[in-house]
Amino acid sequence: MKEKTLADYKAMQERCCNCSYCKWIPLDKIKSNRFAYNCPANAYFKFNTYSARGRFQAGLAVANEELDYTEGMTQMVHSCLSCGACDVACKISRYNLEPLEHNIALKADVIEKGHTILAQKVMLNTLATEGTLIPNMKKADRAVWSEGLGFKDLAKEKAEVLFFPGCKYGYDKTLKETLRTTVSLLLNMEADLGVLGESEMCCGGRAWQMGFEKEFSKTADINISKIQKTGAKIIVTPCADCYHALKRLYAERGLTMEVLHVVEYIDRKVKEGRVTFTKPVNMTVTYHDPCHLGRQGAPFVPWNGTEKKIFNQIHTWEPRRPRNNGANGIYDAPRNILEAIPGIRLVEMERIREYSWCCGAGGGCGQSMPAYAEWVAGDRVAEAKSTATDALVTACPWCNGMLSKAVGKDGETMPVYDLLELVARAL
Amino acid sequence: MALVREIYKEFEEIVGIGNISEEPVVLETYRCVAAQSSAHYGPYDQRTPTPQAVLLPGSTEEVQKIVLLCNKHGIHFKASTTFWSAQGYIGSDNAIQLDMRRMNKIEVDAKNQLAIIEPYAIAAAIQAETMKHGMTCNIQGAGGSTSTLASTAGWQGPGPSSIFTGTNYDNMLSAEWVLPNGEILRTGSAGSGDGWFCGEGPGPSLRAIVRGVAGTAGDMGVCTKLAIKLSPWPGPTYLPSTGAPPSYKADLYENFKYYTLCFPTWEAWAEAVRMIHENRIIYIGHRQFNMFGCDMKGAMVNILSDPNKQLCDLPDLLEDEEIKKQTESMRIDVQVVIAGMTMLDMDYKEKALDEVLRMVGGWKNEMMLKPDIANWALLYLIRMGRKNLNYVYCGAYEGHFGLSRGNYFYSASLVEEASAIKREWEIKHNHMAAVGGNSSMGGLGGVGGGGGVSWEFFAHFDAHDKESIKGVCEYFNKTNQWMAQKGLGGCMGKLNESSRRPDGYNRSQEEFNKTFASTPQPEVFVYQWMVKDAFNPKKLSGSYYKTLDPKAFVEGSGAASRGVFI
Repeated sequence: MKEKTLADYKAMQERCCNCSYCKWIPLDKIKSNRFAYNCPANAYFKFNTYSARGRFQAGLAVANEELDYTEGMTQMVHSCLSCGACDVACKISRYNLEPLEHNIALKADVIEKGHTILAQKVMLNTLATEGTLIPNMKKADRAVWSEGLGFKDLAKEKAEVLFFPGCKYGYDKTLKETLRTTVSLLLNMEADLGVLGESEMCCGGRAWQMGFEKEFSKTADINISKIQKTGAKIIVTPCADCYHALKRLYAERGLTMEVLHVVEYIDRKVKEGRVTFTKPVNMTVTYHDPCHLGRQGAPFVPWNGTEKKIFNQIHTWEPRRPRNNGANGIYDAPRNILEAIPGIRLVEMERIREYSWCCGAGGGCGQSMPAYAEWVAGDRVAEAKSTATDALVTACPWCNGMLSKAVGKDGETMPVYDLLELVARAL
Repeated sequence: MALVREIYKEFEEIVGIGNISEEPVVLETYRCVAAQSSAHYGPYDQRTPTPQAVLLPGSTEEVQKIVLLCNKHGIHFKASTTFWSAQGYIGSDNAIQLDMRRMNKIEVDAKNQLAIIEPYAIAAAIQAETMKHGMTCNIQGAGGSTSTLASTAGWQGPGPSSIFTGTNYDNMLSAEWVLPNGEILRTGSAGSGDGWFCGEGPGPSLRAIVRGVAGTAGDMGVCTKLAIKLSPWPGPTYLPSTGAPPSYKADLYENFKYYTLCFPTWEAWAEAVRMIHENRIIYIGHRQFNMFGCDMKGAMVNILSDPNKQLCDLPDLLEDEEIKKQTESMRIDVQVVIAGMTMLDMDYKEKALDEVLRMVGGWKNEMMLKPDIANWALLYLIRMGRKNLNYVYCGAYEGHFGLSRGNYFYSASLVEEASAIKREWEIKHNHMAAVGGNSSMGGLGGVGGGGGVSWEFFAHFDAHDKESIKGVCEYFNKTNQWMAQKGLGGCMGKLNESSRRPDGYNRSQEEFNKTFASTPQPEVFVYQWMVKDAFNPKKLSGSYYKTLDPKAFVEGSGAASRGVFI
């Protein structure tokens, strides 16, 4: 596959109209001044430079060789969480710009020219040596979580469903019980379940989000080959990042298997009547949409076309280009599950669904710029608390980790749950 | 040129580390690309000058200290909010840029039906906050993403709802300014410590001086806070919307209705607008969707209200017989929203509107009554959340003609002639999108009335295509000529040419002198010079305030003295 370079985005860079929509949630959806912002980088670092518009202008200056990368610019480029909030807001009115794609192309360019953040180097080294982006983790420990669960090893036998836990779930000891419970739950649903076991490695999605295209491609191609060989029909993952990588990025590279987030899988089973929640969980909760399950969770639709001008100057694409604008993300499945659990009352935050606020973990910033990432998570926690909820629920271990870290910072704690924990309680 | 270290440090001490930058990429992103700005076209590769630093002040006191320091060291400064257009950017090398984003508070004083706002409070957020109190604000034509304070203090701020809510200019109450010399001025009642409820007093009533009628686009210092008058909002405390992006739709009660009113002639249009205005029937009145072009608007509305459609669907939709019929039906149209304070009020307004249509032979467009389209349009017009659809075709547009200088009877009588000029250009050249010529759009005027409509035509061009930009500039030369011939003044497409050079720099006073000495009434610009000189003696704050140095004025030199008025 030919990766695009920054120069390929020149038309978009020049056609960005400086309207500032990339800084706000869709204006029609603004409920308050406090929670009107959508771009965490712009909200935290404040200068326009950090918005998608600023990145278009910076990218143009780089492409035109008018600007060299400095340490400050490197930090600016990598501060994008790749959350895609700007992308949704821009596409409310623009049909010919791709801000998120460009933000990542800018990261790839800065990396290509040798400018990275120290923590990213550590992460990438760990990916190369241990098959994970989480520093200090060992390849040999990858499958420890699954000991004694007794499901199939897909290196040796066949199964219909490939369960792909991902690095965060696989290594994080605080999530181990939730993961094991989830697998037991899936097995109880009579899922014909298998795992890659010790041969599993990171999906690489986070590397892609950080702009490490070559490292991502290498990881993805190895994984695709392993996954295809299993002969499984469905991949199920509890991680939003893995979901995005498998469903969209791997599909672009040729993976043809159906990919489901575990909330979709459970939602299906609830609808089929195969799962019924019987135990009440008396609690008011609010749900945080993970970026890579929500607005970036739409299926991949291949496109290979070019720009075509009609009526003199109107820009269109030939053939029709898929619009990844958050319209087809996974929003309803987690909410359906919450509503199906007796005793749970769901209250919504102001920024939800396609215009949800990022948790701060995106783009690897949780590791590479921790203070910034924690501020982003803190803003989400503040938003959750403004709903007078008992708990904050999400469907991604990375979001869970960031939000849990931020939740007590103001001296007022609040439980943060993975949706699977509530599912386990309700069964 | 970088600031000397000592001066940079002084600025840093005022705003704090993290709120000032001279990082090259930050400076680059505070340059306006001339062709991309809706208000300042030009060759793409021209950008406004590089600021010496960008500062993010967090309070009026910080702004004052910055301005005093600029005066001390002779540094130019320009404050801006959402950076919508070239007016907000610096225009000289020896200048710093103030980005006001840290000052974004909104305080609603429900009892006095006003809101006190800071520079970076955007209209969409102000509206959301005021709706919680059963009120709303005017949203300026530039839309919900732009600063209400900027257009209130520095411009005019008309918008679709101005017929009900007033323009931003109308709604300005007390204001707080850091003048170009660093002095803090509070106009109106706030000046005497009596609250923010009145723009003219008790207290110093200098609103006309620091702001004037047209606004000075930031040339008279930095407005740091002001109060705006609010209007009743007969809807819920939050306007709910449904549907997939980008085609969100309003989900409102029966006391809100959206219509596209259509007319057989422009005379009938003008007569209907007069009656609507005089009888206070509508909440919003705007010729909105014609901005996509009179041939395209039916198809475009179908695309924009359907999340599955795209611009590539235009050719097929334009061939659809039903859409053709509907587009033809709304060639001479206006979009309106009526809002009933009670259902009885709603009933009156519905009947009054129908009676107006009956009297002039008008009708309601059928396609625009379909719930999916009507609710989309209702949300669009109330929240103004999709104003960057101005750029949807090509990434750049420019308003031109600007027929607002006449009342609506006069403007309406000229629309077809202006449209023919544009249509001819669309056919002969490929510089702009060919949309049928007529792309006139704009509001039906403010509460004060007088028949003024704020019309402009849209020329959609490609900011990536130098030939397109150049061609549109040539087209504006032609429209400017036509405007002058009709006694309508300069074309708005040329508006910024007199303030800023094509290379993005401010014009010098000598250049202003040359321009304004030959205007019909140069005395006006001499007077403006005296005002500006009194408040801005060092000329450190912008160039959009058009003045003529008295030394360059020759008695009897104006065109009017020679009997020439265009």
